[in-house]
Amino acid sequence: MSCDAVTLEIIRGAARAAQAEMEALLERTAMSAFIREKKDFYTALFDAEGTMVVGSDLPIFGDIVGPIARKFPLETMRPGDLYWYNDCYGSQGAVSHTNDQVFLAPAFLDGVRVGFVMGWAHFSDVGGLRAGSLSPDATDHFQEGIIIPPVRLMRDGETNDALLEVFWRNGRFPTQSRGDTRALMAAVRLGERRLEEIAQRFGADTLADAFAQLLARTEAVVRAKLREAFPIGTTRFTDAIDSDGQGNGPFHLRLALTRMEDDRFLLDTSATDDQAPGPVNFLMHPDVPGMALGLYFLQGEPGQVLNAGAPRALDEVRRRQGSLLAPRAPAPLGLRGITMMRLLAALHGLVAVARGGEAPAAHSAYVVLALRGMHEGKPFLMSDGVGVGYGARPFADGTDAVYFVAQENYPAEFMEHSYPVRLHRYALHMDSGGAGRFRGGCGVVREYEILAEQAVLAIRLDTVKNPPWGVAGGMSGGAGAAVVNPGTPEERHLPSLSDGTVLRRGDILRLSTGGGGGWGHPHDRPAEAVLADVRGGFVSAEAARRDYGVAIADGALDEAATARLRAQRPPAGAFHRGTYADALD
Amino acid sequence: MPSTERPLLAAVDIGGTFTDITLQEATTGRAWTAKTPSTPRDPSEAFLTGLRLALDLAGRDPGEIGRVLHGTTVATNMILEGRTARTALVTTSGFRHVLEIGRADLPRRDNLWAWVKPRRPVPPEHVFEVAGRIAADGAELAPLDESGVAAAARAIAAMGAEAVAICFLHAYANPAHELRAAALLRELLPGLAITASTEVLPVLREYERSMAAVLNAAVMPAVSTYIARLQARLAEAGIAAPLLLMKSNGGVAGAAAIRRSPAQTALSGPAAGVVGARAMAAAEGVTDLITVDIGGTSADICLIEGGRIGLTQSGRIGPWPLPLPMLDMVTIGAGGGSLARAGAGGLTVGPASAGAEPGPACYGRGGTEPTVTDAHLYLGHLPPRLLDGRMALDPALAETALARVAGPLGLSLEATARGILAIADNNMVGAIRVVSVERGHDPRGFALVPFGGAGPLHGAALADLLGMRTVLVPPAPGVLCAQGLVAADLRAEFSRSLARPLDAVTEEALETGFAALEAEAARWFAEEAVPPEAQSRSRAVLMRYAEQGFELPIPFAPVAALGRDFAAAHQALYGFDLPGIAIEVVTLRVTATGRLHALPPLPPSGGDVAAATLGTQPMRLAGRVAEAPVIARTGLGVGASVAGPAIIVQLDATTLVPEGWRAEVGASGALLLRR
Repeated sequence: MSCDAVTLEIIRGAARAAQAEMEALLERTAMSAFIREKKDFYTALFDAEGTMVVGSDLPIFGDIVGPIARKFPLETMRPGDLYWYNDCYGSQGAVSHTNDQVFLAPAFLDGVRVGFVMGWAHFSDVGGLRAGSLSPDATDHFQEGIIIPPVRLMRDGETNDALLEVFWRNGRFPTQSRGDTRALMAAVRLGERRLEEIAQRFGADTLADAFAQLLARTEAVVRAKLREAFPIGTTRFTDAIDSDGQGNGPFHLRLALTRMEDDRFLLDTSATDDQAPGPVNFLMHPDVPGMALGLYFLQGEPGQVLNAGAPRALDEVRRRQGSLLAPRAPAPLGLRGITMMRLLAALHGLVAVARGGEAPAAHSAYVVLALRGMHEGKPFLMSDGVGVGYGARPFADGTDAVYFVAQENYPAEFMEHSYPVRLHRYALHMDSGGAGRFRGGCGVVREYEILAEQAVLAIRLDTVKNPPWGVAGGMSGGAGAAVVNPGTPEERHLPSLSDGTVLRRGDILRLSTGGGGGWGHPHDRPAEAVLADVRGGFVSAEAARRDYGVAIADGALDEAATARLRAQRPPAGAFHRGTYADALD
Repeated sequence: MPSTERPLLAAVDIGGTFTDITLQEATTGRAWTAKTPSTPRDPSEAFLTGLRLALDLAGRDPGEIGRVLHGTTVATNMILEGRTARTALVTTSGFRHVLEIGRADLPRRDNLWAWVKPRRPVPPEHVFEVAGRIAADGAELAPLDESGVAAAARAIAAMGAEAVAICFLHAYANPAHELRAAALLRELLPGLAITASTEVLPVLREYERSMAAVLNAAVMPAVSTYIARLQARLAEAGIAAPLLLMKSNGGVAGAAAIRRSPAQTALSGPAAGVVGARAMAAAEGVTDLITVDIGGTSADICLIEGGRIGLTQSGRIGPWPLPLPMLDMVTIGAGGGSLARAGAGGLTVGPASAGAEPGPACYGRGGTEPTVTDAHLYLGHLPPRLLDGRMALDPALAETALARVAGPLGLSLEATARGILAIADNNMVGAIRVVSVERGHDPRGFALVPFGGAGPLHGAALADLLGMRTVLVPPAPGVLCAQGLVAADLRAEFSRSLARPLDAVTEEALETGFAALEAEAARWFAEEAVPPEAQSRSRAVLMRYAEQGFELPIPFAPVAALGRDFAAAHQALYGFDLPGIAIEVVTLRVTATGRLHALPPLPPSGGDVAAATLGTQPMRLAGRVAEAPVIARTGLGVGASVAGPAIIVQLDATTLVPEGWRAEVGASGALLLRR
């Protein structure tokens, strides 16, 4: 039965409401700070065959149901089933590091399967080499925590408790793990009930047709926008991550997007560098680039949802086995976020090349600091996700101090309440936003005093040697750094991607994070906007003079000097990373 | 307090277009209402005009008024429109960008690449750092730098600030530095509105607390001026009664308390309506209800269980968190003026709205896009004239507008109109579900109370979708706020942290904590002059499983029973409990209520349906057109019963009784709609 435009909108709204309910339940009941304070969790709804129909606005999902269905055929599923995995290689990249747990339940109407519901959350520790399970020191995926292959956790509503016991026993913080597991299971059960109610209300056939339409129209929008953006032929873009934390790098991501004469699209990533010995490999599910471009092209389309229709707009995605984007098992994967974030920037780079700069500048990769040790007789793990600057856009400044979609920071008061640290400073990182007509977003500075007797630190920073590029005349963003005891004789600069640094009580750690690239020539930014940036601590007076040609003395604009500076407008190029260039490599 | 010499309650609700006044005699329940155009330049003008009108109508003397109640949107509108006072923030050294960074709060449903960070109410150049440090446990690590406070004062004077907020790290654990800095600034900057964060909200999380302090300070000058002006007007009119204002938590408080903490009125307007809905439902014996207040651009949804209005401390106002106790209300962009559009994604309704100007196409004020109201008119749900005939609706304009959307979608006008309503209803149903599930309720056990100008048009459809069996339409759905004011109690919450594992909590510790809170409550009762027989207090223990981030309030019980009660509540609300995992007590809370004992309004004096029927009009039903009776609400007496399809019209709203539904006038004058 076909679903009319009205019913379609109602089903979309009901699916969104079901997601909101699941998220509310998770946030209220989960235990680890990573889930309840940082909010590293997502939900999605799928059709009866397991195709993602209503996702989250997060461009990293692959084929979630497929790995389950390969082991448990769809026709053997029953009401009351609940499935689970975190197996990266086993799911071919549907999950891309072991901390992310996927829980999935089929929903039924009168014994007929009508869809699936997913709850996904990052667990703070699942065992492995170091607390937190993600370490720049990992050389092998088996050091990154317990691997749960696709399993059936519940059958007919009965839980296989032994599986959970094994999982909890393999983590360092079993109480948190237990609370988080139960919260995620309850959220999925709630979503399942809601999907069943939707099916009840409209009938399974109408629901199926609505799902098919949601997929088709997302695909159609993304395809149309791809055609608008890309000429026939091949568009290329190359970007790079700095290192793998083990002395190797840089690693280049080389993308080639071809629009064929018949308007088919082929994304070829096979010229990307070989896989890394360290854990920066990104086991990229072939759906990911389509999801990422989908999120970009669905801007300004509030009625559309990001779903598996977006990847369908790319007719083929090629990866090369043994490359950074298709590593061979058991290459370590834990810090794949670095590569994933660079991939997103590189996809925007393709758009920028094709559209003469009409695309966002590059962003920094989000930063995570892990501090572990013993304090007052108890082990602690502080995984602090820290925001960065995002790229400036053809219509607005880049966003300051954002981590990634929907994830929040830890307040200083929460940190000091929960972990043996004191924060001396939490501020915007001045001059980290790339200069431009629109300024790149600023990263942040977070300064910690260590209160534990001793602790071991891991730092995850990228875009230090290859800062986020600016576009259309905009300049690249500033880099981050991690410095111990700055301004003292004991000052130490830590490698940007490293583990095993021992810190002692009283040590000061200053972490600064990178900004986003700028968009448009900096001399075109109104002098008043530059003045406001200087007064607000986003831009220094020196950088205002050097990059923007704006003279500011004692917090006021010197208009005559500004006119003289701006008379000497430096030539710009299409891209900027340290210097202007027509193309990056 | 009202007495036999001063038995009148006066409630004043100032809306965008009209100011509504209700005068009620506390001893008899008799009531008079008056309406006068609002005077946006100086709202107190209409306030006084209206009061005089109502007194004339009642033939009473200003000296007979015992209490004046008021819901205000002054603070709300200033915050939402970004028109607050020029404000400075004084913060701890190293945290100048606390507002700018926020929680890195890109909303979950926004597109990462399209989202633009909203401009903060205080830019970083107006944030001043002062040295001094309190630890998480409240210990002083470094003394307050008083010379730094003085330097900040000079800078604040130089920037021409009207208001100052102070928020120091961990002030919730030890407010000494904040209070000292506030005292110094009050001395150095006489005449400025000064707010210390802990005076507004002593809770953890510096961004949220800073924002609460900033918003409080930023609305304080205007709210103070406003209240002072109202008080002057009252004096001018010979009214000596105290002025009480509605807070976001559904209680009222004296003018002095509101001037200190004006951010508490951020949801004052909606709260008054919800309290009114509760009172109206109580008069019909209904205590479990979900209210839907549908206006021109948005719908506010609230849940009341057992007569208790749900409150939250994680509320928001516009883009800003405001963690003060407020109505747990969900607002969505669906109202009578919501625009329907046909795009690549099919038909969408809202959140864009035609607003008051131009308004729906059928108002004939230049609107060309179809709205929810146009869909109602096309289907025959609205009479051709509104506001007692003062405002004509043009069906031809509604049709033309609907055709703009129907064409591209290939739908008939009727299917388009029904579709617009179905989508708007569905959006509201989604919000109602979120409000219910977050507190673990099944909406089918609740009555729906639709109000606001457009509410009674949607009540039956929403109830159908949610499986709710009863709809209660208040006697005057468009002026429920004024009735809420009359029905409101004085209310305040007092809490203190008692962070420890439940098995380390003693009866003694609980008793000591609650005794201290009740002493605070007693002082508050004295300040508000609540007589002992009107006072009540309730105790709650806020608990969670160790390492969770949200607490559940559990009614006070012996320690031995608290753990069991908590686990049962967790199971009921979320579907699971966690036996064997430690439970923590986080906060003790005392809620103090001063009952003001208003009587319900007298029942209507109208007669039967035949006498109240004005005529008929065509209504489009599935597959046919019926002649539906048009009935005057004021003509219906208690027990009168109207079978659908019909519309019941009154000055401020139209009630749609669909086919298969029946409306009956209850003992208190409310309309009960049942299938």
